[in-house]
Amino acid sequence: MNDQPEVRSTSSDFANLDRRSFLKTGLGGAIFLGTVSATAGLSGCSSTPAGRVSAVGTRMDASYEFRFLTSDDIQLFEALLPAIIGPGLPEQPQARRMAIAGTIERIDAGIHNFGPANQKELRRLFDLLNFGLTRVTIARVWSSWPKVTTEEADAFLERWRTSGIGLFNNGYIALTKISNVAFYGYEDFWHLSGYPGPPKWAVDALPQFQNA
Amino acid sequence: MQLKDRIAQGLESGWKVTDGATLTENRTLEADVVVIGTGAGGGTTAEILAKSGLSVILVEEGRLYYQKDFKMDELSAYASLYQEGMSRVTKDGAIAILQGRCVGGSTTVNWTSSFRTPDATLNYWAERFGLDALAPDAMAPWFDGREQRHNMEPWAVKPNVNNDILRQGCDQLGYTWQVIPRNVKGCWNLGYCGVGCPTNAKQGALLTTVPGALDNDAHLIHGLRADKLVMNQDRIDHLQASAMAADGITPSGVTVTLKARHFVAAASAIGTPGLLLRSGIPDPHNRIGKRSFIHPVNACVAEMPEKVEPFYGAPQSIYSDHFNFSGGVDGPVGYKLEVPPLHPAMSSGVIPGHGDTQINTMARLPWMNSVIALLRDGFHPDSPGGTIGLRDDGSPYLDYPVTDYLWDGLRRAFYTMAEIQFAAGAKRVRLMHLDSDWYTSWTDAKAAIDQLPMELHRVRLFTAHQMGGCGMGANPEESVVNGFGEHHHVSNLSVHDASIFPTSIGANPQLSVYALSARNSTRLANRLKA
Repeated sequence: MNDQPEVRSTSSDFANLDRRSFLKTGLGGAIFLGTVSATAGLSGCSSTPAGRVSAVGTRMDASYEFRFLTSDDIQLFEALLPAIIGPGLPEQPQARRMAIAGTIERIDAGIHNFGPANQKELRRLFDLLNFGLTRVTIARVWSSWPKVTTEEADAFLERWRTSGIGLFNNGYIALTKISNVAFYGYEDFWHLSGYPGPPKWAVDALPQFQNA
Repeated sequence: MQLKDRIAQGLESGWKVTDGATLTENRTLEADVVVIGTGAGGGTTAEILAKSGLSVILVEEGRLYYQKDFKMDELSAYASLYQEGMSRVTKDGAIAILQGRCVGGSTTVNWTSSFRTPDATLNYWAERFGLDALAPDAMAPWFDGREQRHNMEPWAVKPNVNNDILRQGCDQLGYTWQVIPRNVKGCWNLGYCGVGCPTNAKQGALLTTVPGALDNDAHLIHGLRADKLVMNQDRIDHLQASAMAADGITPSGVTVTLKARHFVAAASAIGTPGLLLRSGIPDPHNRIGKRSFIHPVNACVAEMPEKVEPFYGAPQSIYSDHFNFSGGVDGPVGYKLEVPPLHPAMSSGVIPGHGDTQINTMARLPWMNSVIALLRDGFHPDSPGGTIGLRDDGSPYLDYPVTDYLWDGLRRAFYTMAEIQFAAGAKRVRLMHLDSDWYTSWTDAKAAIDQLPMELHRVRLFTAHQMGGCGMGANPEESVVNGFGEHHHVSNLSVHDASIFPTSIGANPQLSVYALSARNSTRLANRLKA
């Protein structure tokens, strides 16, 4: 771990308290996350989908309408994707911004199809990560997401991956799985996994690929 | 070449097919029988009843997708063809649930493996649940019939490299293996069964029994969610259903009331118990939703010296039952060994990781093999299965505790899979476990498996086979339906899907569902016409 050890030591009481509340039962954890959601909503965390994000001053394609992710969630993924995808993202700044923006749009589109039950679970997780108090105490990420470095994002992911607390492992899987699937599953990045796509001879022969 | 599209032709010829999203006002429809679900069970039921001259309405929550929509693309297919956009998990999030949600149900997206119910399973059912009428000899004609209906035959083509690695490893170690029967006709051996067969080769419900029912005047309403079976005294009077908007996710507000003499629930082992629980169907012994089984799956991946291209070719063609019944039918849990196809989205979601580690792993995909173990749950007191419950919004969930009995089997399966992969020449092997590295020798892998914690979330677990929850049995105190799928307490309700299995099957369940549904529907048709 490469986060600040002195800060971590002073926060250990918080961390232990939260750890206990998580350890009780899965249900306890769920209720706790529910509380965070309510608190985050009251304290001004944006809880409505971002809709069409203006292209001016952002990296998003304004033609895409967000149906689930909020502007806070978008910032969360802008901070996490460089750590989750790592060297898979292009280095050239404009291409990199586009790759991150497109992946976040596909994450949003995917979550839309998850339906209400899993959307509710993800809302709790994202609120927990976006709400300052829980971001610091539970995720132990000290800066707000736009200021988090890739190293810090990676350290956070590693903490949740290696944690002995199942709920954190579950959070790690949720964040990385939706990101990995939205990134590696997209045609533009198939080459990173050496996947040539559907066989061309079949595409050429099948009626559903012919222009109507 | 199977370029002639059965669905497009049928729609053109005037099949009665209604897209729920096009309904603008509430309506009431009536038929002899309402069948809820269009998968292996519902499709079979609808075809047999409709052919017998009964009027049938088929209800499907998912939408109608067919060849024009099947473009060999993972992201769009997972979003539209699978339950909860492929994000369905058990209550605690520890087990990923792969399940179809479209016309044809899971048979539209399965990997075509077509096994008879093992004799050992049928004999166990006879002995333990009083289901003597389902003994292997009695079931044989039904398996024969369905094998013909769905064109099931052992795969005659050479297995792809991914599957051949399982064969080679088993050969090296003296473990038995066999060729998998597949339900295909004129298969192009492409490898995209899981995202909707692009060539109309797969003979699932979508291209066999559902068209068979529609040819015989059945009415299919898709994009329609079955909310509640409404009782009038001791019989079901009607089904209350909600039309879904064109996105397939949001109810449009339009409701449909379906009246019938008889109702068949075939909405899957999660959907059917959910529907019965929502409906308050009489359940004096509290059996609905209990003993829910999933063939818990764990997995290993291997990097092979030669290219595997695990994304191409018939996804499943070789299996091993060496460890499935070796400990006796009700001894330590047995497991079936198979191979999954590996496309980029699926692989990157199944292999846990991020950053450098993940991209380095993904970069080796063309050289990657994977083996999966499917545990035969439900045959032992320490494997009582899970429970289907309802969320606040009425949607069903599966709560599936993993017992020590199952963890023991999962650990043994890790040993077996890694050993087989090394025996087949793997350069390195990684377990689907949060703590697993790549291991470059069987000795190292073995030492690691000795130590790895067998814990929820850390061990990556999956299920593609949902069974039980409305178990059949002779004794109404411990079952929901009798051996013909007839509800013990409600005379005009039958269950014709995998939810009636009193244990798991010990093999991919589609043929078990087809065969039992055919048998029980034939009886039901005679009963209703008498």
